[in-house]
Amino acid sequence: MKLELRGITKSFGSLVANKDISLVVEPGQIHCLLGENGAGKSTLMNVLYGLLTPDSGQILIDDKPITIRDPKDAVAHGIGMVHQHFMLIPVFNVLENIILGSEDVRPWPFIDREAARTRIEQIANEYNFQIDPDAIIENLPIGTQQRVEILKALSHNAKILILDEPTAVLTPQETDALIEILKTLKEQGTSIIFITHKLREVLAIADVITVIRLGEVVGSTTPDEVNEEELASMMVGREVDLVVDKTPATPGDVVLSVSDLYVEDDRGLTAVKGVSFDVRRGEILAIAGVQGNGQTELVEALTGMRPVVSGKVSLNGDNLAGRSVRHILDAGVAHVPEDRQVHGLIPGMSIADNLVLDQIHSPKFGGIFGRKIKAIRENAEVRRKEFDIRSPGIDTAVGELSGGNQQKVVMARELSRELKVLICAQPTRGLDVGSIEFMHKQIVANRDAGAAVIIVSSELDEVIALGDRVAVLYDGRVQDIVPPTTSREEFGLLMAGARSTEATGVTP
Amino acid sequence: MSEVSTKKSASQQVLAFLLRMRQANMALILLLSLFVALVFAGFLIILTTPELLTSWESFFSHMGATIALTWNTITYAYVQLFEGAVVNFHDLRVLIDNPSMANLATVLNPLFGPSGTVTYATPLIVAGLGLAIGFQSGLFDIGGQGQVIGGGALCLIVAISVHLPAILLVPLEIIAAMAGGALLAAFAGVLKAYTGAHEVITTMMTSRIIGFLLPWFLTLTFIARPGFADGASKAIPPAGQLPFLLSGIGSNLQLSLGFVFAVASVFAVQWFFNRSKLGFQLKMVGQSPEAARTAGINSKRAIVVSLSLAGAMLGFAGMIELTGIDHFMSPNFGGSYGIDAIAVALIGRNKPWGVFAAALFFGAMQSGGLAMQSATQLQPSLALVIQAVVAFCVATPFLVVDIFKLKNGERYATSTAAGGWA
Repeated sequence: MKLELRGITKSFGSLVANKDISLVVEPGQIHCLLGENGAGKSTLMNVLYGLLTPDSGQILIDDKPITIRDPKDAVAHGIGMVHQHFMLIPVFNVLENIILGSEDVRPWPFIDREAARTRIEQIANEYNFQIDPDAIIENLPIGTQQRVEILKALSHNAKILILDEPTAVLTPQETDALIEILKTLKEQGTSIIFITHKLREVLAIADVITVIRLGEVVGSTTPDEVNEEELASMMVGREVDLVVDKTPATPGDVVLSVSDLYVEDDRGLTAVKGVSFDVRRGEILAIAGVQGNGQTELVEALTGMRPVVSGKVSLNGDNLAGRSVRHILDAGVAHVPEDRQVHGLIPGMSIADNLVLDQIHSPKFGGIFGRKIKAIRENAEVRRKEFDIRSPGIDTAVGELSGGNQQKVVMARELSRELKVLICAQPTRGLDVGSIEFMHKQIVANRDAGAAVIIVSSELDEVIALGDRVAVLYDGRVQDIVPPTTSREEFGLLMAGARSTEATGVTP
Repeated sequence: MSEVSTKKSASQQVLAFLLRMRQANMALILLLSLFVALVFAGFLIILTTPELLTSWESFFSHMGATIALTWNTITYAYVQLFEGAVVNFHDLRVLIDNPSMANLATVLNPLFGPSGTVTYATPLIVAGLGLAIGFQSGLFDIGGQGQVIGGGALCLIVAISVHLPAILLVPLEIIAAMAGGALLAAFAGVLKAYTGAHEVITTMMTSRIIGFLLPWFLTLTFIARPGFADGASKAIPPAGQLPFLLSGIGSNLQLSLGFVFAVASVFAVQWFFNRSKLGFQLKMVGQSPEAARTAGINSKRAIVVSLSLAGAMLGFAGMIELTGIDHFMSPNFGGSYGIDAIAVALIGRNKPWGVFAAALFFGAMQSGGLAMQSATQLQPSLALVIQAVVAFCVATPFLVVDIFKLKNGERYATSTAAGGWA
């Protein structure tokens, strides 16, 4: 099925999110839509899926103009969408989630589960999906949940599949598996629109790449014609430094020392199992590992958000284990949390307020007569310039900013405190190239200013680029601490649980 | 020709202006809510007035008369409602023609009218502010009634057992009342913070318990009015009563110093949320408990503090009711202030001046309803229906947006008026 968008324009008030966008997706083609956050990719796809009505422009399927009023129309025309945040009901099983919304298999009000099961198993076999239809969604790994979403779209006879940032939540292994699935789908004749800002993936799977910047198509190309640098500069509109520019570390004294740390997860299972490491002044310790190997719990324990079962965390000799979040923050630990929307920011509050969330007690921003609004606003103006936070003003609610700008707010707040230790969890998750470059520069600058930095990231590229030393976490244990020059293969093995040849000799 | 075209453009201008006015905003939604409520209550007036029903039975034989009668009845009722709630035009005219203290007192009207409206609204302002503190912090204190009673009870004990001049006794009463309300709410707060018990259940249940304890409390020999078995308490001694502000104008005007306290509370709560560190922390916890925790805020403490402050305000409302209006406690002390305050906080969208205005509206409906009852055969509860329909519409702003096809009302589709309400 051929899909064509002609001159799609959509504006929200004075903001033009899509300006005269045209693109053609041929049958059996993987079409990558590349652009920074806020470039208008999602708006365009929401127009295509009937969630938004365009101000002008046409959508054509097989050269015939069609109107899409709502997602039902889109589905009827063979358009399926896998959202970035899955639209699955966690307590239902796979089968129930797939037939949800199309249960009309038998006269109302009965559901013919067996017929549905046969149909779904048939589709799953056709595309070589391995999915247990009776598994409960919340028990499945993220990658499998995504497969359920894809299967759901296919069960509605989708001929064009839109995937909105599908790899943002996946581990490298899951990403590889997804790419395999997409290739199979393509061979079967399904067209795919793949929205992303990750250059490596684009080059790996795209047939055609369309780059969008500030709501406009800036160019169309194929992977053979471009390299990562060229794509990045098309996307951002200027030359981009993909390699982190940093001098070798000059480590000083040990600032933060973690020894034999044990932490439990929400279910009461031991998630961090005897982790020990030291971080010195002026160095970056990167913590690598596949998501879910204890990174989240480790960071939460270090920042006081999760109780420590046993072990020691000492900052310049003071024990931090088991102390309150406030105490740890005051001791000079800055924390850029993993999920900025939930932990880092309060979306309904202004940029100015978000920039002082954890500094309410600082005499700079508040005295006995209450919060010093003037100081808070001045601080916000300064940070906004310094960190290039793009917004109409400092009173804009943070929830209205793009992901990159939200992360800049978190960074600006944390880095503006007097800090001895900087802990960044997934500092660039979901950010575009331009913002990633900016964040990396900030982190390195803080290292050079004498902070002990811990970066937790599931992106191997980031770990290698930033870390002065890399600790690989697997199943709650530090497999090894290696230099960033270690080969990708060896990192892969360590992350998968194998022991390095230079292992410390301690058996897990 | 040119005249016609300018006329047309003028009418187009009017149309364009009206279209611009259809932009959804909360003030317009409130106004339209009131309109919906008045229309709805209009139908109720028809249904509850026998003459109107008879007239409508023979609608086709004399349409004009039926419509005229209906219109006159409804407008008369609403004029009475308005005059009882805001100001009586006839009395106002008399005052303008013959300015005198007595005529001014008539305008202010001890029973209903402006004085009645403000008197009824005063405790409601304070109680609504208390609930708004809880709501802004993401906590739903449903047990305001019990906290009003608890505050009133401690205040009563202090007032009848301590003999001090007014200048000392009144502050002492305030402290006692606030402590009473705060303790009850803090109990629910501690349960929530340390055991996870939901505050809706615990505040509601403590409120019920306090409500049932009140009649027993009033029978205690120390409390009960000697020689009477009507369940009323001893009276607050004159030193413990809030002075009437307008007694110079008319001896029976009941507007007390409590109103000054209420206005001061509005400013205080406004400052609390806009400027104070504690208020900011509570707002953080209310909007995002996780982000607040990450920023080093002790959420357990915040829960207890927030509910305590809410309870203190409700206790204060009880004190104003007791020392400014009733002057003694009866088994139905506090009326339905604790429950009404929820609607007041809701309509006021948890904003201090919004709460103030909403409480005045409730006061107006109360005294307007009484006035309407005395002038027509209609039930005063009709005013409560209007009140309820307005609350209903404000709670579901998108309904109003949809009925009147307001522009740009999408943001009301998901957000509820209460801000922090789930």
